[in-house]
Amino acid sequence: MENTTHFGFKQVATNDKQSLVRDVFNSVAGKYDLMNDVLSFGAHRLWKRYTIASSNVKDGDKVLDIAGGTGDLAIEFRKKVGDSGQVILSDINAAMLNEGRKNLINKGVFGVEFIQLNAEYLPFDNSTFDCVSIAFGLRNVTDKDQALKEVYRILKPGGCLLILEFSTTDSALLKKLYDFYSFNIIQKLGGIIADDEASYQYLAESIRKHPDQETLKGMVLDASFDFCEYHNLSGGIVALHKGIKV
Amino acid sequence: MQPFAIFWHKQTIILEQALNRLITNGEVGISVLNGKTIGFSLQDLPLDVHFVCANERIFVLSATNKPTDVDIKLKSMVFISLLHGEDLTELLRQDKISIHGDVKTAQLLVDLLKEVDIDLEEIASKYTGDIIANQLGKLTKKFNPTNMESNNPLEIIKDGLTALLINPIKFEQYKHKNS
Repeated sequence: MENTTHFGFKQVATNDKQSLVRDVFNSVAGKYDLMNDVLSFGAHRLWKRYTIASSNVKDGDKVLDIAGGTGDLAIEFRKKVGDSGQVILSDINAAMLNEGRKNLINKGVFGVEFIQLNAEYLPFDNSTFDCVSIAFGLRNVTDKDQALKEVYRILKPGGCLLILEFSTTDSALLKKLYDFYSFNIIQKLGGIIADDEASYQYLAESIRKHPDQETLKGMVLDASFDFCEYHNLSGGIVALHKGIKV
Repeated sequence: MQPFAIFWHKQTIILEQALNRLITNGEVGISVLNGKTIGFSLQDLPLDVHFVCANERIFVLSATNKPTDVDIKLKSMVFISLLHGEDLTELLRQDKISIHGDVKTAQLLVDLLKEVDIDLEEIASKYTGDIIANQLGKLTKKFNPTNMESNNPLEIIKDGLTALLINPIKFEQYKHKNS
């Protein structure tokens, strides 16, 4: 069917996906960090730490964090770029961006800029950033290929893209456990803690619909990146893709 | 991912950080290497990395989808001797190192690697925790060939880390054996 896309396991009109995703994140924004900690048993902090270590960001660099949510990556990037650098925390969702702003203020982090934007149309000049990151956000983007092309355009030569995202595990045992956890526990916890089972059902479903490691690597290369490699974390439940523009 | 593969990926991150720190501090320049991709393999270890140089930055990758400008293949002991001042041309003449491509580019990379003075313990502690980093630091001290008897130093590191990551009890035995 043309002009349709997936929203979790449902097929929806392409034009509707953005507002459906927005509704999900409007609903979960207030409990986002708490739910991440609970659902991943705190592992999301390690995955993000690994992403920062892989970023190669240095003093004076310009960094854009797309779908930056509550600002976990932006906080660490801010420390790395120093006062001479620039970090922009962006999200398509105003509620998430507000949570990010509150979080940074509460943690005493200043000097990060906030922009509400759609990853498919990045309002920046060509060759602006040294690093662009998107953590647990790409699977919610309607046109991922367009977003990757936009990231390539705004990266400087020598710049890199970091995509931290749920992915596919090769281990049959882990897959069984993970499927059980995703479709039986996550929704229930979403209902108990965030009073929103439906949004966490979408979370579990959207992970399964997201391209696997090799497919995403192909998409990054198709977007003109010169190099792309990925590293599996937690047995492939999460993968970090790094795309390089030469 | 196997524990050893995780270890080597951490090493590529550490190496990448160290090289870029040298470049940022102005201690080395890589403008002559800009745009070059260099393959580098240690034949006796599962270490196969690619150095991609772009816009005054170096990326250390485990694989590339593009042809390299030069490929360097050598054994770990030869690499160590190279880092400790052995002449590249002499090693080439003795067939101890294989270079496919531009030898001058290979020499530039070797010169760059000689400049890297990684405090593995300090860097690793940032994301492995102090206890593991301390163990890594102890292991890397064995890298110095002056401390070696007949064993391959990288094998010692490999064995030690495998023991540490897979079987801490075995690691204790390893420590006693090598102390």
